Amino acid sequence: MFKNFLILTLKGIRYRPMRSWLTILGIVIGIMLVVIILSLSGGIKNAVGKQLQMFGSNLIVIFPGKETNPLIGFLGDQSFRERDLMELEKIKGVKTIVPMEVRVMNIEYKGEKKSILVHAAPWRGMIEVFEQAQGLRLQEGRWPINDQANEVVLGYLTINKLFKNKVRLGDEIIVKSKRMKVVGYVSEIGNQMDDNTIYISMDIFRNMTGIRGRERSAFAIIKPGANINLVAKQIKFSLSKQEVVRDFSVITPEKAGRLVGNVLSIIEFILMIIAGISLLVGAVGIMNTMYTSVLERTRQIGVMKAIGASSDSILSLFLIESGMIGLVGGILGIVFGVTASYIISFIAVKFGIGNLFSFASLDLLGLFVILIITFITGIVSGVLPARAAAKMEPAEALRYE
Amino acid sequence: MDGKFFDPVCGMDLSDIEDVATFSSGGEEFRFCGDYCVNRFKKNPGKFQNEPLIKLREVRKVFKMDGAETRALRGLNLNVWAGDFTAIIGSSGSGKSTALNMMGMLDRPTGGKIFLNGKNTSRIEDIKRAKLRSDMFGFVFQQYNLIPWLTAYENVALPLIFAGEKVNKQKIETGFREVGMSDRMDHRPFQLSGGEQQRTALLRALANEPDIILGDEPTGNLDSKTGGIILEMLVKLNKEKKKTLVIVTHDADIANMADQIITIKDGKTIRNHGKHKKTYTA
Repeated sequence: MFKNFLILTLKGIRYRPMRSWLTILGIVIGIMLVVIILSLSGGIKNAVGKQLQMFGSNLIVIFPGKETNPLIGFLGDQSFRERDLMELEKIKGVKTIVPMEVRVMNIEYKGEKKSILVHAAPWRGMIEVFEQAQGLRLQEGRWPINDQANEVVLGYLTINKLFKNKVRLGDEIIVKSKRMKVVGYVSEIGNQMDDNTIYISMDIFRNMTGIRGRERSAFAIIKPGANINLVAKQIKFSLSKQEVVRDFSVITPEKAGRLVGNVLSIIEFILMIIAGISLLVGAVGIMNTMYTSVLERTRQIGVMKAIGASSDSILSLFLIESGMIGLVGGILGIVFGVTASYIISFIAVKFGIGNLFSFASLDLLGLFVILIITFITGIVSGVLPARAAAKMEPAEALRYE
Repeated sequence: MDGKFFDPVCGMDLSDIEDVATFSSGGEEFRFCGDYCVNRFKKNPGKFQNEPLIKLREVRKVFKMDGAETRALRGLNLNVWAGDFTAIIGSSGSGKSTALNMMGMLDRPTGGKIFLNGKNTSRIEDIKRAKLRSDMFGFVFQQYNLIPWLTAYENVALPLIFAGEKVNKQKIETGFREVGMSDRMDHRPFQLSGGEQQRTALLRALANEPDIILGDEPTGNLDSKTGGIILEMLVKLNKEKKKTLVIVTHDADIANMADQIITIKDGKTIRNHGKHKKTYTA
């Protein structure tokens, strides 16, 4: 009997194809969002993790401002006194303190002007930070010979894609009206901001800007074997004694991972809520369609009862219909969601973010659970309208115009 | 019921009638609404001393819509006998379709009792009603009422699906052949003429081999020639296959073909069983 009811229901759905497909679309959108979030969140976490790994395991970052606003901290107005930062080298476990400045500056190459991030630090410290951080290597060329040389090292995208003409080693670039020679460039980091950058020495930076005795941030390179968390605490304690920068952050790689993880989790949670709401709207859509279907088919319900259908049979027919709409929506949502995840991942590669999605990493059990949920959602959405249909007296339904 | 007397043939309440007719048989005196029923009784007294196939006693039906009440049936009494062709005639709004719905358990009465084969069916639960409808009744409606998204064949198979019975393809095809629609079985209702749709509806009504066929103005939407063909099929079912036939009509010519004519006026049966001269306005 179930097989016959299923065939009957499918014929009924095909009778009003536009309405059925529009209702299914409501479910497809919700499921597609859920599948995209689930498929990509693992990849995103891995990509961010990979970025953080480049940070290096023996580096501590010190910058003004609260932990929750790292970018504002890096690009804001507050600066530490240089002597307060260099004082930190006295802490046991600290190998070197590398003061760092990060500013947006104007640069010009063959008449073309751009604004990019400039990283300034003493060259020896900068090279040591790069060596600690995995993935940051000099790709081609050389480091500048000393801190007074008018030489710069470029980021991967700066040399290859920033300007209309690809920059060559040995070419001249104008940074804040000062002519500088390009002597090398670093390997690709994997994000737009870090790859579109330029590295200069702290001395050159001070000459350009006139800023002396103050630095916005610093890297602390930790001695091998030292307890990084303990050193971080000591750095924090030492800096708390200075009064120039009230709020500051001391971030170890582990803490950075946790902070980013928290943010990603919150974003994931919010997206899942949005997806859940979208699915709820889809479910309401099914209920609306089923109520309309019951109204439209009132007479037919009367006829079916007249020719022997029980209330349970009528209930079954409508529940199968709403369940089928949910199930088909779920199947299509999964197919489109997986396809969209693949496309997003493909596009992300062009922006330097790889491995966001792979078919091998698909959680098949999770997808199956999603299918069950959409089927049940369809059935539950159809319960009230189906009961209204089943309750009708045949004569009452037959009288309906 | 409450000390009331009912005509053993037509089932009318005799308390409304001053000049009841009487007849004695087997030492028992029977009262009737009039000579028409006396004569019917005389021809087959054994039959009319048993339980009728369908019996309505003091059946009332009140429709409530938007706060307004409509009394469609006001204590309706009638008998339908197995194997008979019974016509129910009356003007529009008299309650004849409501009476048919009561008989076929398409609706529940507000008051009174309905008996099928001697059993009170007025208050039975839905699932048993559906089973009885499926087993005992076949319906033919004025507006055909075929399911629009099923083919003619599928419409005829539908009662079997609901009854949980196996669909006998050959039997259905034979039925379509007998009504001259072999090549139209795979068409949907909108592709069929009125006559073809009603023939399909008739085949559907017979799918579960019911004992009783109920027709609510089955020829009302058809031209006279096509209507005549349908009526002929229905009458043939009654005469040759001994199906009990109850037809609601306002057409005197159709009513006059029946074994028994029940006239309904204002929700009650009235004494008017003989040949009808006038057709009621629809």
